[in-house]
Amino acid sequence: MSSDSSTTLPPRWAESLLRMLLSPEDRDSVSGDLLEEYRESVVPALGDKAQGWYIRQVAGYLLRKAWIWSALVGVILVTRYLFDTLAPVRYTPGVIHPRSAIMSYALMTSFAFGSGWQVWRSGHLGSGVLVAFATAAVGGALSAAGTVACLAIWHDPETLQAVRSSGGLAEALWGVPLLLVPIGLITGATGAVAGRLAHAIVHGASRPNMKSA
Amino acid sequence: MADVLGAFEQAVLIAVVRLQADAYGRAILKEVQARLGRDVAHGAVHATLGRLEQKKLLSSKLGSGTPVRAGRARRYYRLLPAGVRALNDARSAVDNLWSGLNWPLIKARSMS
Repeated sequence: MSSDSSTTLPPRWAESLLRMLLSPEDRDSVSGDLLEEYRESVVPALGDKAQGWYIRQVAGYLLRKAWIWSALVGVILVTRYLFDTLAPVRYTPGVIHPRSAIMSYALMTSFAFGSGWQVWRSGHLGSGVLVAFATAAVGGALSAAGTVACLAIWHDPETLQAVRSSGGLAEALWGVPLLLVPIGLITGATGAVAGRLAHAIVHGASRPNMKSA
Repeated sequence: MADVLGAFEQAVLIAVVRLQADAYGRAILKEVQARLGRDVAHGAVHATLGRLEQKKLLSSKLGSGTPVRAGRARRYYRLLPAGVRALNDARSAVDNLWSGLNWPLIKARSMS
């Protein structure tokens, strides 16, 4: 091991993000494990590419925190797509159909609860918003993939007409997934505030330790 | 009946057994990677350790830090009696499955 690698720092923003995602009891031990691996094994082996390795590890932690909520968002959207194509209803402009309302509330609850739970665990508002963002991005991608899979199974003229009547394929494939990002950020931020309040009430209002190398 | 363990959970618990007093996050990761012969994400090992601790199969305590870790504490893991039972059950389940068969299987037998 060279003396350089033993003091090399990973990208500061990535390390801050990792520490923000972790619970206070794991913050030092987990980020320390990653730093030790980075300095002792990864930098000597990968050189300039070591930072990419570190960023991928942090992204992995973020996705682990968000995957269950992302899956839930994907399932909600694909279920809505299936209802709209296999049991279509007539939508009236300006009138919110119960089906739309149920989906919207289910999505908002997923974002808010996922974000709130993350903040409850970590004590950091920002980590909840990050998880909500990842949930929206991955959930949107899962929804688009699910829509394509459904379309591969059911693509008779009646189904395609039902797709057009409920907003069209473009809306299902990229319109709704893109719209998920602002919705996720807004409802996620709300959930994060609720999670932070609950955390402060139960654990005290002290600022979580964010010391980095 | 103890907890039913997944393959990765068994790999992590066995790594803790092998490492004994040196079983902390990164060492466990290295051991699991070496035994499984593939790259394993840090997050996967830490998530599994957390889950096994929640199931009360492992316990942990913080140790001291080192300069290369910027002084951050290591978390050392230890197998609890429920973890020993779970590993023994997992091993005997595999032994029961293989009982009466010769290993490695030869093609003629696997096709019949």
